[in-house]
Amino acid sequence: MTTQEIAVTSEIEIAEASPTNLWRDALARLAANRLALVAILPIVLLFFIAAFGPYLTPYDFLAQDFTARLVSPSSEHWLGTDELGRDVFSRILYGARTAVSVGLVSTAISLVVGLVMGSLAGYLGGRVDMLVVWLTDVTRSMPALLLAIVINLTLKVPLEAWMEQMYLATKNTFFRQTMWVDLVLVFGALALIQWPGYARLIRGQILSIRSRNYVLAARALGMPTGRILTRYVIPNAMGPLIVAVSAGMGGAMVLESAFSFLGVGVQLPIPSWGKMISDGLRMWQTHPHLLVGPAVMMAVITVSFAWLGDGLNDALNPRQWGG
Amino acid sequence: MSVLLDVQELQTRFQVRKGYVYAVNGISFTLEEGETLAVVGESGCGKSVTMLSLVRLLPPAASIENGKVLLRGEDLLELNLRQLRDVRGGEVGMIFQDPMTSLNPFINIGTQMAEPLVYHRGMSKSDALARSAELLEMVGIPDGEARLREYPHQFSGGMRQRVMIAMSMSCEPAVLIADEPTTALDVTIQAQIVDLVKELRDRSGVAVIWITHDLSVVAGIADRVIVMYAGYIVEEAPVDALFEDPRHPYTVGLMGALPSLTGETGTRLTTIGGSPPDLIELPDFCPFHPRCPYAIDRCRKENPMLEPVAEASDRGHRAACWVDIRDVSVSSEAGVAAD
Repeated sequence: MTTQEIAVTSEIEIAEASPTNLWRDALARLAANRLALVAILPIVLLFFIAAFGPYLTPYDFLAQDFTARLVSPSSEHWLGTDELGRDVFSRILYGARTAVSVGLVSTAISLVVGLVMGSLAGYLGGRVDMLVVWLTDVTRSMPALLLAIVINLTLKVPLEAWMEQMYLATKNTFFRQTMWVDLVLVFGALALIQWPGYARLIRGQILSIRSRNYVLAARALGMPTGRILTRYVIPNAMGPLIVAVSAGMGGAMVLESAFSFLGVGVQLPIPSWGKMISDGLRMWQTHPHLLVGPAVMMAVITVSFAWLGDGLNDALNPRQWGG
Repeated sequence: MSVLLDVQELQTRFQVRKGYVYAVNGISFTLEEGETLAVVGESGCGKSVTMLSLVRLLPPAASIENGKVLLRGEDLLELNLRQLRDVRGGEVGMIFQDPMTSLNPFINIGTQMAEPLVYHRGMSKSDALARSAELLEMVGIPDGEARLREYPHQFSGGMRQRVMIAMSMSCEPAVLIADEPTTALDVTIQAQIVDLVKELRDRSGVAVIWITHDLSVVAGIADRVIVMYAGYIVEEAPVDALFEDPRHPYTVGLMGALPSLTGETGTRLTTIGGSPPDLIELPDFCPFHPRCPYAIDRCRKENPMLEPVAEASDRGHRAACWVDIRDVSVSSEAGVAAD
């Protein structure tokens, strides 16, 4: 604890001694926030596992060992094995890949869509604004899970047929990997659910920043609209957006697990924590280790993202600075 | 001296839920090369809207309905957006009221100052930064080169206004529009900023339009004064003529509200009773008559035009009033104070 405190104070001193900017100040404030610091650890670990998981796992996530089915945690299988004799620990590490790729990709897609739609609505206003707000209203009025199920049920078959056609046309084996269909559908569904939130946030930000004095001053200096957007409006809109993205990453991972739990998410054989939880749930009374591992991982990661988001909010929100 | 800026019959109105608010109602004025013109009037009289109209920086709800803004004979209201951008910052510089929020908090001062130089003058980034450092020193910020790397929150309000002035003057504009640049600053800093603008004006020969509601600032800086009320120019005069011989009751009222260092002590300052009219339609009466101690019947039926005043027209002194207030010895103080 003392070393941590020293690290924290020295960080602040550096920030004050050198020419500062808002980002550096925010970083110092974030570093001074215990909860956020604690939250960063599991998140960094998660990304590390996602990147290097295959080199860390003691077993292949697909390797079935029928001589060791449903064994309890032991020195050989740290978190036991499932009903096909697959190592649960290895599968959790691989599941981090699913979680991270879903979190990153779906957040990236929804962020880009939200950024474009929100910026257009906020800056152009008028009919474009009305159309975008209407679209977000329509999307948000549908329950997220129901929407995902509908997408999965209606688009999966045509997409698989198209992949098969592409394979026959190009003989490229890429199109034979049907697991991509699952991923694309999950990413697409998550992005569809999440973009309205980002679009509304960005629209609100732009509406408020557009009327700030420095934007008027920049216009009075003859700056072109594009430059005003990229240098004046968007950087100043980033703070709340970063907070939303951090919270959104956790949210996307939970949603993906929920999809898998309901059977519309990533299908076997790619491990997904949600799928593992739903499988484990059937036998939790006799083999609780199947449920505990992925459930604890899921909980830790979700809470971490929430804490980090909170910390970022405090660090980036000027009203919290208190002089 | 020749006419630099010629504003003719400028009319700007705002669309609101129930129709329009008439903010600027067909005003005309000129600005000569190197001249300093002060525009005074109370809040909401159309000063700022007039100036924003000149370079079309109005909010979306506002529209310019009529008029011409001739800068060296070229009508700014006819330019396309690209040409207009060259005028903004290039030909016409602007400074605003609140320096605390007029700089982008995310970009350091140097980058921010270099932008217009790169954009309008086609300078390289490093040349623009070097020039920016010079400009900072010119506006009285020592060690300019080091301060270029700093961010707006490391500058005080007065310093930020100096930076704004340096930016607006960086491309050597012909006209500098200063929209209440001292209002948000404390009094000692106000005086410094006024002196700074005077010094820059005398050195560069820029013509200045100085918007304010502070008559003491006007006396110190302006050559000529325009008094605005309810979107109209009610009086226009050389600065000494206005102070010695005000011809519009509103100007008289403004003067009465000004504390004097030389006059009797212990007397009350007078105020102008009432408040300005809502401009939801163009008035067919003098907009000042409800607050005017000199008001006669004609004031309630006809809106006076801005016309040369008796016995001083050769100095360019004009006023919009039906009454020659010198002839009337109303108990004006009583009338004003009673309200």
